[in-house]
Amino acid sequence: MTIRHRPVLRAVAAAAAGLVALAACGGPAPSGGGGDGTVSGEISLLTPIFEGADGAAVLEEQLAAFQAQYPGVTVKPDYTTYGKLNEKLTTSIASGQPYDVMLMGAGWIPPFAEKGVLADLGLEPAELGARYYERAVDAGVHEGKVYALPIMMDTRIGIYRKDLFAQAGITEPPKNFAELREYGKRLTQRAPDGTLQVAGLDVLGIDPRQAFLTMLWAAGGELFGPDGSPAFNSPAGVKALQTMADVIQVDRSEDVGWTTPNSPTGNVMAQGRAAMAVGHHHFWTQIQEEAPELIAEDKLGFFVITDERPAMFQGGTLATVSAQSKHPEAARALAEFLASEGPVLAANEQRGNIPSLKSLESSEFVQQNGAIQFAMQNFEHAHSEGGVPQWLEIRDKFKPAIESALLGQKSPQQALDDLAAEASAALAGR
Amino acid sequence: MSPEGTSAPVAPPVPSGPGPGRLGGAPRPGRILLHAVLVALSLAMVAPFVWMVLTSLKSHAEVMSYPPTILPSVWQWVNYPDALGFAPFGTYFRNSMVIAVSHTAINVALAAMAGYALARLPFRGRTPALVFVLAAMMIPTFTKIVPQYLLAKTMPFFGGNDFLGRGGSGWLDSWWALIVPGAVTPLAIFLFRQFYLSLPRELEEAARLDGLGEFGIFARVMTPLMKPAIATVALITFENSWNNFVWPLIVTRTDQLRVIQVGLAAFQQTERTLWEYLMAGTVLATVPMIVLFLFTQRYFVQGFATAGIK
Amino acid sequence: MAAPTAAPPATRAVAGAHRRSRPLGHERRRAAYLMLAPGMLHLAWWIGVPTVATFVLAFTRYDILAGTMAWAGLDNFVAIFRDPVWWTAVWNTVVYTFFTVPVAMAIAVVIAVLLNTNLRARAWYRTAVFMPHITATVAIALVWMWMFEPNIGLFNWVLSWFGVRGPAWTSDPAWAMTSVILMSVWKGIGLKMVIYLAALQGIPHDLYEAAEIDGAGPVRRFFAVTLPLLGPATFFVLVVSLIESFQVFEQFYVLTPEGGPAGSTTVMTYEIYKSAFQRFDMSVASAQSVVLFVFLLVLTIVGRRFTGRDDVA
Repeated sequence: MTIRHRPVLRAVAAAAAGLVALAACGGPAPSGGGGDGTVSGEISLLTPIFEGADGAAVLEEQLAAFQAQYPGVTVKPDYTTYGKLNEKLTTSIASGQPYDVMLMGAGWIPPFAEKGVLADLGLEPAELGARYYERAVDAGVHEGKVYALPIMMDTRIGIYRKDLFAQAGITEPPKNFAELREYGKRLTQRAPDGTLQVAGLDVLGIDPRQAFLTMLWAAGGELFGPDGSPAFNSPAGVKALQTMADVIQVDRSEDVGWTTPNSPTGNVMAQGRAAMAVGHHHFWTQIQEEAPELIAEDKLGFFVITDERPAMFQGGTLATVSAQSKHPEAARALAEFLASEGPVLAANEQRGNIPSLKSLESSEFVQQNGAIQFAMQNFEHAHSEGGVPQWLEIRDKFKPAIESALLGQKSPQQALDDLAAEASAALAGR
Repeated sequence: MSPEGTSAPVAPPVPSGPGPGRLGGAPRPGRILLHAVLVALSLAMVAPFVWMVLTSLKSHAEVMSYPPTILPSVWQWVNYPDALGFAPFGTYFRNSMVIAVSHTAINVALAAMAGYALARLPFRGRTPALVFVLAAMMIPTFTKIVPQYLLAKTMPFFGGNDFLGRGGSGWLDSWWALIVPGAVTPLAIFLFRQFYLSLPRELEEAARLDGLGEFGIFARVMTPLMKPAIATVALITFENSWNNFVWPLIVTRTDQLRVIQVGLAAFQQTERTLWEYLMAGTVLATVPMIVLFLFTQRYFVQGFATAGIK
Repeated sequence: MAAPTAAPPATRAVAGAHRRSRPLGHERRRAAYLMLAPGMLHLAWWIGVPTVATFVLAFTRYDILAGTMAWAGLDNFVAIFRDPVWWTAVWNTVVYTFFTVPVAMAIAVVIAVLLNTNLRARAWYRTAVFMPHITATVAIALVWMWMFEPNIGLFNWVLSWFGVRGPAWTSDPAWAMTSVILMSVWKGIGLKMVIYLAALQGIPHDLYEAAEIDGAGPVRRFFAVTLPLLGPATFFVLVVSLIESFQVFEQFYVLTPEGGPAGSTTVMTYEIYKSAFQRFDMSVASAQSVVLFVFLLVLTIVGRRFTGRDDVA
């Protein structure tokens, strides 16, 4: 028995070792990244946007325009969802055949750039800042070099019901946390038996990390200090988290479980179950579909969350080029094309998101969307998350920490201090 | 008590209740109670599916209303063609069918053989082989997915690869990658083993005395008695394959080879989910499974396995 | 004898004539290897190689993005066991398994026995019980989220009839795990029932009749005849349920996303997913998988003790 099995085991072990070695050698492609100077070749594009038949049609249309400009280039798009983007990225990079152009989210640029996955686009941030919103450009910059071009952006802003404000005798959106809380209390409506009917201030409707970061920046705090160490457990951070926790625990302007991000039970503002929210600009599109009368009757208002300073959270999708691309010029051309007016407008129109180009502020699409207009006008207050190469390791630790404070399990100071400790460990490379 | 099963079955009139195949003569209250329990249970099991169907027939605004309506105020039958138009579901359906049927056929054939060998044929290394099969189920999918992808990509001589599997794309973007990796599952081998174990020795002995070789015994004597097991493996394999999402997504780069679940995932976007279309798509995607299940019901009928013994 | 007697192939008849009276181990062994080969080779390649790769990777620092690899010894294991989140995930997985598996198995076997009787419309009942298994988890989870909705959802509405203020279910750290367990038991009954149904077909009528003649009532018959003969099937269902339960992912991913409220419902597979596809750390994901593997191996061995010796054909 043993005699028969040993060769089998050896073969399997050899195969495994070979596999692992293959994976390790998967990084640098045999022919290197140097191109021949002309813009030609067949390039692959990985996109988590433009999904569905409609999305594909939009992209195909844009690619036709690209084809007209660069007849020597063929583009092969691979459609995926944001949810599975990482699986596609990992497998393609591990196999040594990454996509030439990859669209990805803002927080991923520094880690990917640091590890040599992305190509330096050789552009000047200042020059880009003239055409695109500076904050959007920043998301694609790592250590002074531009690795990504912004296409689409999303923001977290304050949203409120003008009619409910009027009913409560409030004339203007809150200008600081104190007013935020006070208005929240006044706007809350409960039935005699205590069941919540209208939440005065909804802080649970968007991702907890993004809600907290918005409040953190508004309180004057920062995610990381200039030396890269965690700065979110500063007094500003604690104030931000304390405010959020107090809204639920003390003011009782909202109950736990009232809503969740991307809730399948619907958008609280559309349903009239919240008078004010730390919300997503996309609520506009959702309200347009679910309760269009709110928009038609101009009952929706926007404000930037403010305390020490006004602050908007900003995320987005950017176009990057693989450092291992066999046709770098063609890939660069495609990336720049995708970040140009036509494709940017088409992509954002399809999804109801914010175009990255300043010139598109006057487009009809933007003019018809109150939330996007508002965001674009206030874009100088936008901040993005991330900025350190270890961001992907730290990012998922925020939600449990913030929720433990919101639920009253830990004090905000404790929760943030613990989180800072975990972040420091991750930054130090464990 | 171990009757040798030589006499014809006698069925004295007995009260009904748990226990196989009792015919007639049951007191009414017992039966009614049983049916009541089963109906309640069935409703509990089916209710979410009913809710899905109802949701698929509502407009988006109504799906998102609070409190939710039970019946649609306007029956949006148009959701179905709209959902189907959202992505090339015709192609996806065909692909899913091809893959699921292939997986089922291959798995049943190969796993039955392997399970039989593990159950009834003595050979050294039988226990390690069983342990190996069980162990093969113990690594989660996510962990296996990157190595499996690399294995598919480095298949020698395919997709422009040299003999060491370098240079090209191997099985990626082809039916090979979609069909072969999932064609045999340890679960099926294990299930067949357990079922083959429960067959009586006498059958085997008798067949051997009749001059059948091992393979003959397997194919002509034992396996025909395995219809419930085969049906079970078919159901499990088909369902697994049909609902598989991540693998078909990562080994293909073009829409032509993608499957239904990938299409359904397009309804779930980062900013929002198109629930009514997702439900419509899921309802349609569930229909083949229901049909398959109803079709296999006749194999779950008493008597199939024991027909040969007497 | 109902065994069909087709003529064996000519060559075999000749060889068989010599061996018929004393079946030699040779022929049976050779047949065994031939029958095992395709399936086992397939498993060895597509699952065995990745498994070995996982074990190897667990002892390295593999940066999949940068394409670098270095030996790390036990560092990964030390790191994961220092992480309190991992311990929470392990504990949650065990709790989840402990409540889901036995309950679903017990309900499934009773239902299978009930639906094995000559009942009218039993095909419909069986289909109904199987429905949860074949419907995609995402769609089902949506429905359950509505049922768990704290204000107007089904569960709290029913509780309100009794004057009880229901919890926030999936948003409440104390109840989130219970919510997922409820949904999982509901979902898990169908397949187990089918397997038990299949196994029940193999129990001969006569055994029940003999027991009846001996005076055993239906419940006694169940425990004395049915259950023991379901041994191999129960072992199968137990092992497979344990393995599936330890590798649960979808229900948690959809019902209580990102580890649940305050991280209270993170499970091992979710942590592995996070390591692999959010942090791009394949080494840690591999180490976590190895730990999961060891857990399952131990549980299977223990489970084997429970369901008795089933190796005897």
